[in-house]
Amino acid sequence: MKIGNIEVKISIVAIAVFVFFTLFLLLASVFSPEVRSQLMWLIPMLFMLLVIPVSLNYMSRSQYADILPRYEADAKTIRIKMINESMVGKPVRFEGVVERVHFQFLNRPQYRVADRSGEISVKMFTSSDENVKVNDVVEVIGQVIRRYIVAGDPVVNCVSIRKIKKS
Amino acid sequence: MVDISDEYPNQQKNRSHRWLEIAVPFFSFGGAFIAILFPILGIPLDFHVPAMGCVLASCFLAYLAWIRPRKDIVALTTPIYSVIFFSFPIDYSTALVLQVLYAVSLTLMLVRLKYRFGTPGTAASLGKELGGTLKTYIEQTRDAFGDISPEAAHRAAVIFVRFAEGNYDDAIQSSKDILNDGENPDYVSPLIRAFSIIQEHLTINNQSLPHPVTYLKFSENDTPLLAKPTVPADDEDMEFYTALDNALLLLYSVAWNKSERDRAHLLVCQAFAQKLMSST
Repeated sequence: MKIGNIEVKISIVAIAVFVFFTLFLLLASVFSPEVRSQLMWLIPMLFMLLVIPVSLNYMSRSQYADILPRYEADAKTIRIKMINESMVGKPVRFEGVVERVHFQFLNRPQYRVADRSGEISVKMFTSSDENVKVNDVVEVIGQVIRRYIVAGDPVVNCVSIRKIKKS
Repeated sequence: MVDISDEYPNQQKNRSHRWLEIAVPFFSFGGAFIAILFPILGIPLDFHVPAMGCVLASCFLAYLAWIRPRKDIVALTTPIYSVIFFSFPIDYSTALVLQVLYAVSLTLMLVRLKYRFGTPGTAASLGKELGGTLKTYIEQTRDAFGDISPEAAHRAAVIFVRFAEGNYDDAIQSSKDILNDGENPDYVSPLIRAFSIIQEHLTINNQSLPHPVTYLKFSENDTPLLAKPTVPADDEDMEFYTALDNALLLLYSVAWNKSERDRAHLLVCQAFAQKLMSST
């Protein structure tokens, strides 16, 4: 679904919640006249269960789209093993193979990307533009952060992850 | 070449950590045991008293998680859960079941911590002193840089730290300044070669150029000073990047051995240097 130039994705969890409460409301309104009398505000509230996640996704993706050109200009291409604690806050760019994917269904995907020099965790706080899967060769642009914000090993806060074709 | 040597942790600290590991199930199950025993003996007891065993055990577990280089956020937050679970007034039998279940989960988390999050941090892994293969390499090359001045070593430290921090533009400028000094007797040939290799790599990176067909390498005479063995020439990619790793580690060794004032900064970058040592 596109809003303006932004491809908006809604997570399967948000859809499941909407479906669940829709069915719940339907059943409740069949059996309870009190619920039927409140439908005028219950139905809009029900649709907010979809509208709010869509809005949040749109806002985060449009923000990422705005900052991506700056990261593309500033990020230096490096090998994964060069990423270390001293680089926290620096924009980086690297290529590698996706070894693992987690939490894609929550629109908060986390990837394990590896190249010949090492591997690193790549976290994204919104949905990615492309459907990245295990064994895809990707280019990652992001910022080095600590895993738990103030402590932990360095990971990459991903701004963009896109598939590249390797010849 | 550098011989790989193991890092031996402090034995006394090891013993105290072991006692703490035993204390976690001891206090948590001990509290539950007291909660069962006292009613059987007819002694009235506020459930908060045996519950303190679980709270203490959580604190020990959180400490064991904190001292590890890789942090387990679940174990770190157990004291908060223990206070939430046991501070509110509940029925005695419910509290007893909760304590037993909590003691079981703490014990499982302890096992998980030991096997998934490695051993407790040593002074080296916590960045307070050199350790591991890096320490061995630096000690083996200590006497190899006799003629290098502290100023030259300081400049080596600056380039290493800037490289580690990703300040590649500054590192390029610094290495250019050094190489323009050219015939300065302070710089021995391997060090000059190291600066040249680093500058070449930085320039290629900065301009996003492809991997060159011909590139700078260390000579055979430099081999005793290198941290990593040279790679067979048929793997050009590895040979190219191993030369950079060796150049950076050579700078680290020169800086550590000849410029004491920079050691604090080099310790901050120790994890990066260890990664260079141990990676392929």
